[in-house]
Amino acid sequence: MRVATWQRFGPLAEWRSLRGLFTGLAALGLVVLVVLALTTDRFLSVENIKAILSSASIVGIMALGLTFITLIGSLVSLAIAATAVMGAMVFLVELNLGLVPALAISMAAGAAVTALQGLIIGAWGANPVILTIGAGFLLSGITTKASGGVIVQPTGGSWETLNSTPLGVPLGVYVMVALALLYQFVLKRTVLGRRVILIGENRDAARAAGMRIPRITAIAFAIAGASFALGGAFLGAFNKGASAQLEGTATFDVIAAVLVGGTLISGGRGSALRTLAGAIVIATISDLLLLRGFDTGAQILLKGVLVVVVVLATWVASGREGTA
Amino acid sequence: MSPAESMPRLELRGLAKSFGAVRAVRGVSLAIAPGEIHGLCGHNGAGKSTLINMLAGNVAPDAGEILLDGAPQSFAGPRDAQRAGIATVDQELSLVPTLSVAENIVLGEVGAGLLRHARRTRRRAAGLLAKVGLEDVDPDTPVDELSIGTRQLVEIARALGRDAGLLILDEPTATLSDVEIERVFRAVRGVAAQGCAVIFVSHRLGEIIGLCDRVTVMRDGDKVLDADIGEVSADGLVEAILGEQLQPAPHRKLDPRESPIALSVEGLGVPGRLADFSAELLGGRIYGLAGQVGAGASDVLRALAGLVPAATGRVRLAERRLPLGDAAGIRSCGVGFVSGDRKAEGLFIGRSILENLTVAQLGRIARGGRIGGREEMQRGRELAEAAHVPTERLGEPVGVLSGGNQQKALLGRYLLHSGVEVLLIDEPTRGVDVGGRAAIHELLREAARQGQIVVFASSELDELLELGETIITMRSGRVIATYAEGSSREDLLSDLTHREGVAA
Amino acid sequence: MNTARRTAARWLRPETVVPITSFAVVLAAYLLTPVYHGHELVDFDVYNTLQGFASLGLIALALGLTILAGEFDVSVLGMQALGGVLAVKAGADSGLVGILAATAGCAFLGALQGGVIARLRVQSMSVTIGTYIALLGLANVVAGNETLTFANTDASIWINQTVAGLFSPRSLIALGVFALVLVVCATTRIGPELRALGGDRRASRVVGVPVDRRLTALFGVSGALAGLAGAMLAYSNASASLNPGLQPLVLAAAAAVLGGLSLRGGRGAIWGLLLGALAVSLLEQVFNVTALPASSAQIVFGSLLLVVVVVDAPDLRSSLARLQARRASARSAPSAQVKPKAAGG
Repeated sequence: MRVATWQRFGPLAEWRSLRGLFTGLAALGLVVLVVLALTTDRFLSVENIKAILSSASIVGIMALGLTFITLIGSLVSLAIAATAVMGAMVFLVELNLGLVPALAISMAAGAAVTALQGLIIGAWGANPVILTIGAGFLLSGITTKASGGVIVQPTGGSWETLNSTPLGVPLGVYVMVALALLYQFVLKRTVLGRRVILIGENRDAARAAGMRIPRITAIAFAIAGASFALGGAFLGAFNKGASAQLEGTATFDVIAAVLVGGTLISGGRGSALRTLAGAIVIATISDLLLLRGFDTGAQILLKGVLVVVVVLATWVASGREGTA
Repeated sequence: MSPAESMPRLELRGLAKSFGAVRAVRGVSLAIAPGEIHGLCGHNGAGKSTLINMLAGNVAPDAGEILLDGAPQSFAGPRDAQRAGIATVDQELSLVPTLSVAENIVLGEVGAGLLRHARRTRRRAAGLLAKVGLEDVDPDTPVDELSIGTRQLVEIARALGRDAGLLILDEPTATLSDVEIERVFRAVRGVAAQGCAVIFVSHRLGEIIGLCDRVTVMRDGDKVLDADIGEVSADGLVEAILGEQLQPAPHRKLDPRESPIALSVEGLGVPGRLADFSAELLGGRIYGLAGQVGAGASDVLRALAGLVPAATGRVRLAERRLPLGDAAGIRSCGVGFVSGDRKAEGLFIGRSILENLTVAQLGRIARGGRIGGREEMQRGRELAEAAHVPTERLGEPVGVLSGGNQQKALLGRYLLHSGVEVLLIDEPTRGVDVGGRAAIHELLREAARQGQIVVFASSELDELLELGETIITMRSGRVIATYAEGSSREDLLSDLTHREGVAA
Repeated sequence: MNTARRTAARWLRPETVVPITSFAVVLAAYLLTPVYHGHELVDFDVYNTLQGFASLGLIALALGLTILAGEFDVSVLGMQALGGVLAVKAGADSGLVGILAATAGCAFLGALQGGVIARLRVQSMSVTIGTYIALLGLANVVAGNETLTFANTDASIWINQTVAGLFSPRSLIALGVFALVLVVCATTRIGPELRALGGDRRASRVVGVPVDRRLTALFGVSGALAGLAGAMLAYSNASASLNPGLQPLVLAAAAAVLGGLSLRGGRGAIWGLLLGALAVSLLEQVFNVTALPASSAQIVFGSLLLVVVVVDAPDLRSSLARLQARRASARSAPSAQVKPKAAGG
């Protein structure tokens, strides 16, 4: 007989107190954040807020795409950086066709490459983490070869549009917010989105209910891949060039944004808006720490601790049955 | 050894356990002497599993005492129960498939040292295997190479090797052949002769009568019978298990339709589990597949639902060939499947009741891929009403519902012209209390009235008798007999309770 | 009961075949380098391979042990970085103290992590992603945000000196640790229990395996191994790198899958893992020697991982089974007598 986790924990009270503990911690954390924000010099200025949003935007765009992969239960993709680099290169190379066509081709390439991974994962249940590690490595090698190892230069001038700042806010921020709203709509209000969430919630039940898991997984991954490429395009425009060195720890920054937003890595719970919040929270904390004079090490450390705490808190709050 | 003189090996005093509002075990008291083989029966949900789980240390009792040789026990987990000398063979196999037989036998043994003694272990394993008739099995065989029946025997061998004072066997013979069952009986008698007390849980009355010294019957959490085996008859046991309703509800008069839709099944098979199942199933009727775990009833349903990739055979629904092994394809042909394990394979526990209800109808509700909130709520309410699920809180997670309501919600997704012509349900009322069972049976009758082909698999006597208009009994992956209207009641009952059983 | 056939089948299990084949293929590729690349086989190649193995092997062992138990410890990357920093800081006067500090510190953090994962029954991947980031940050903090140079040049030289022309203390320690783990898993109940955790966690618990204790210790060990690897690497480079990147994880994963470990857990052997790690190290050396550009190496490793992951995929077998079943159904002639619906009992 399957015995639920809470029963194995002994008295129900202990479990409840764990949830209480984590909720309390979360509330405390939020209060500390707000207090810190209000008491830090120069935090509440317009330029600072813009800086936060801007630094969140590229990671945010990619994280919004990753949300689909996480929600459908495929954990994470470790090919994010490689796909972004490919997206950047394709974008820059195709710029002579115009801004929009270049973006379209770049996003299509990202979508195709990632959809293929999704298809294999959906159809054959391949381990998504290792598969994306392999795919990412393969993609990196191919893009480096294709670019001849040199920094890819833009073939047109319209890339500057991506660096523009309408109303003083970087274009990337508008795109991130628009994407968040769009993806939220897809997830909550379309058949596709509903199926993605249900498959992530319980794959066996989804199969028993007759859902076409390979197809839906491929589509979810395609959306993610297009987002990775789009983020890459922005990065390429920002750096005025693209090479394999483009992304440092971006892969894990993107993953952190999704996790901190409270999307469960096991799938089925979460949303695009949560990811948006996660990206902004991370950017805010990094900014706060910077303003207060903390060094890079402390920033990274706190980011990691934040991820761990949120992951544990969301897990405990979900009340899911554990890994037996 | 007169019971009055010796201390009972196991004594339960007022043992009770509730899960939320469900009182699974209500104050059960029992005494079992050393060397006594004690049978335990009752329908699903009667409380047997919970009782066993408390003895095995998986669940802590809410009230009452467990005494072993007079000493009160308190188990914080399975290891404590093991240390106290209780060995359990679960219904759900607890063998690790990636390990060998010998490794499994010693796995987790309390009191074993850190070092492995491979040769000694292998010898010990071989000895235990011989006790259950598996002399030919190499102890180094990885368990995933063994058949289900052999695995069951290995589990029993492991329990025998634990040098226990109390041995608990929960439905140990469900997947075994007659020969294997006889071996198990011999081993159990041997262990009892050495003073070990045995609790033998089974649905098969023939075996209970053949093997046990005493028997306890549970119903709805209470102990309703506790007697020497010589004092009861099989009929008496059936009556105790079912309660008052020994007579099933009379077959309803069918409304004969002109040409009801037909599901033709030819030679449906699953390698190693199901052999050559054929039947012609008509719309408007309810078919019951009767069988215990491993009998093949469940496999028939799963194969028809497209969940078994290795399934062979030809299945046609209204002349349209069903793509076996392709669950999505079969679903789109109009076949709906409700799994026996609703938590693992049925409901989306974290999602709302509404989302669970509408999952099969998303295509219909949505316009241009977009799901309208109002349309979904409306459709959801219709389905909830049809399924008799409370409609006030459809937005809440389905996990808050009781077992019965959860099952209704699960069935509800295939009601009301959702394009489902064939409804396949595995164990329709598992984990559902008495009130919910009646409601679910009525739901299925209504579905049949609407013209659907309803096929259910069950191991429950009363459910099969009450609900099944045509009953197909199965054992070891084969059809034993088919009973339609007008068949002999006695033959059916005896087939279902397997009274012939094994000679004592 | 064809015992001969059964024994043969058992030897053909993936856990056995894959590591032996992988290593044999890579070895052949190496031994043939004089042929296709005109490179003379020298002792230095072996030395270099084993130097690479000294880090890669221990990380692969750390990751592999968690994979066997059905988990996935991403934080080994962070442990490696932290280990390097701790060793450099603590080992200025005594190399041994530095290594001990690194190993002990990472073991402690690992066990802490393991305890939380065990108690909360949470999937290790997400938690270890967070701890990986945190450990990187911690390493930075301890190092004061700059690449530390290792003052103890004696230790650096000592750890890299050639032993018998082929080895170095670094590689010998790594091989020794591997041997130790191998012996422990083979002779104690730890081995089967570890595989049981990965094979069927629920059954392990029910049957009496002290799951929580084992998991806590497991992550402690993976932390210690990664910390040790990082410490020795830092000594070897005479500096502590603050961000090793994803590469170690990729290579460790490759070593695990080439070593015959199943990604679902429960299947695989330590000796297989050893062969897998040696294969990857040797392959890297082949790339070095043939001056293969990094991009080509990435393509090779990436493809390798992809192939193995697809072959290991659980539902691939189901798809094949489905195809087989379809063909069987099509072949069998429709039965002349369709069993009629029974009119009576």
